[in-house]
Amino acid sequence: MFAFWSLALLLISVARGKEVCYDRLGCFTDDIPWAGTTERPISKLPWSPERINTRFLLYTKKNPDNFQEITAIDPKTIGYSNFDANKTTRFITHGFVDQGEENWLSDMCRRMFQVEDVNCICIDWSKGSRCPYTQAANNIRVVGAEVAYFINVLVADYGYSPSKVHFIGHSLGAHAAAEMGQRIPGIKRITGIDPAQPYFEGTPVEIRLDKSDAEFVDVIHTDSAPTIPYLGFGMRAAVGHLDFYPNGGEQMPGCKKNALSQIVDIDGIWEGTRDFVACNHLRGYKYYSDSILYPDGFLGYPCAAYNLFETSCFPCPARGCPKMGHYADQYKDQISSTSGFTKLYLNTGDAKIFARWRYKLSVTLSGKSSVRGYVNIALYGTGGNTKQHQIFQGYLQPGSTHTVFIDSEIKVGTVTTVKFLWNNNVINPTFPKMGAEKIMVEDGENGHMYNFCGSDTVREDVLQTLTPC
Amino acid sequence: MERAWVLLLFTCILAESFASPRGLIFNLDNGELCMQSLQCKSGCCHRTSGLSLARCSDKAAENQECSRKHIYGIYYRCPCESGLTCDADWTIVGGITNSDFGICKDPAKRK
Repeated sequence: MFAFWSLALLLISVARGKEVCYDRLGCFTDDIPWAGTTERPISKLPWSPERINTRFLLYTKKNPDNFQEITAIDPKTIGYSNFDANKTTRFITHGFVDQGEENWLSDMCRRMFQVEDVNCICIDWSKGSRCPYTQAANNIRVVGAEVAYFINVLVADYGYSPSKVHFIGHSLGAHAAAEMGQRIPGIKRITGIDPAQPYFEGTPVEIRLDKSDAEFVDVIHTDSAPTIPYLGFGMRAAVGHLDFYPNGGEQMPGCKKNALSQIVDIDGIWEGTRDFVACNHLRGYKYYSDSILYPDGFLGYPCAAYNLFETSCFPCPARGCPKMGHYADQYKDQISSTSGFTKLYLNTGDAKIFARWRYKLSVTLSGKSSVRGYVNIALYGTGGNTKQHQIFQGYLQPGSTHTVFIDSEIKVGTVTTVKFLWNNNVINPTFPKMGAEKIMVEDGENGHMYNFCGSDTVREDVLQTLTPC
Repeated sequence: MERAWVLLLFTCILAESFASPRGLIFNLDNGELCMQSLQCKSGCCHRTSGLSLARCSDKAAENQECSRKHIYGIYYRCPCESGLTCDADWTIVGGITNSDFGICKDPAKRK
């Protein structure tokens, strides 16, 4: 057996070193580490640029609904288009099997136009993404080289600076950044939305997305369970300057619906089918898209692990929490180049709108006798009021204090009152009364503390209002 | 004999759907398709229009729009969370067309 494997390895090492060269883009080899390693056992050379047919679909504020197709091979098309060399350019790239004309890419552009004026270029490489995975994982190198070529033309023709380029890649698309970043130093920012795991996790930095690829690299991990056996498609390892793990990064809320409910989606059968196949994996770009409109709704709390985040790592440090998604680069200046990886945790909603605001509640109960039941708390403030959040279930003992975190669906702002409610769903002939003596609310964003006191007790299913004290 | 098997299977499914935290017929999470509010964990089976499909949804919080609880079991506006009352007038037409909407209010506040 050993002889067989050594022979096989020998054959692989003899066969390696194949290379293809394409004009404009240069040569691509399937040498180690591109193939023949344990992470990348099957060697494939990338297809030709003509076959992959990378297309650049430009959306701007002037044409938010219909794209203009531009190409660097014929730079005149850029001149004729609405491309504005004075503005930031954001590239958005899809992943495996997906296409650049898919709605989520242009929707993301339109959301950007609501808050800023940018050149939004959706990159379509569907001809190269709809093939066996091993092939697509290599085709992405050509896509990265095409983007680099495009930027080089912008630099040459318009004096455009790479420091105005932001590259957003989903799944396999995120790894196109590796090729691009190596060809063009000084790219302003790369956002990896759940970078693909198979063929990239554990590989050297020239193959995969890495923090050396741009001045600032932020990554959102939403499907980081191992591919075998959990079918997680996204990378687990932290690879950027900031790595966000919403909901722990493995299982997203709203992705465990039964098959029928998942496929028959509010956004249509097509969106539902996509989610049925890869719900966790596709959540990343939905979070990013929401983050454009809710800048403070996706605060990432620095923490060592998700289970610690659930019990501590609160509130944000004095210099603030980095924002997951579109505004992650606001935190850029606070990252020292020598430091390691920063892991950030947060919770999101289970359906759009995904934004959430985290609060810490500390409730001290009062009453005459203990009862079994649960406790709900709702916060009222300048931004409106939340729904009731169940904060505790079990034995309600007067004098005991329960401390929990809630992720509110609205930003409460300055908290003015708090309402307390308890219930046990069991008919109790003695009509016991419970109340909250003291409730402390801490805002996660700025660490503000609010204290509320209550003097009375209430019967079950009756709201008790607590006022500041 | 066959009937017995079917009955047993049905009982198993029913027991399973009640017992497991996440069910197929009962104990449905928000966003799952429903036909009756009893199926939903949240207690509200909500649809946006007469033609759209109904899905489990959160009950209405204070100051949000609501319907009063009724026997249809499908709501255009969810009923209020516990402790709140839906401040809606009752009209005959609204009662039939399921469109007596109000705002959730805290009964203690009105005093």
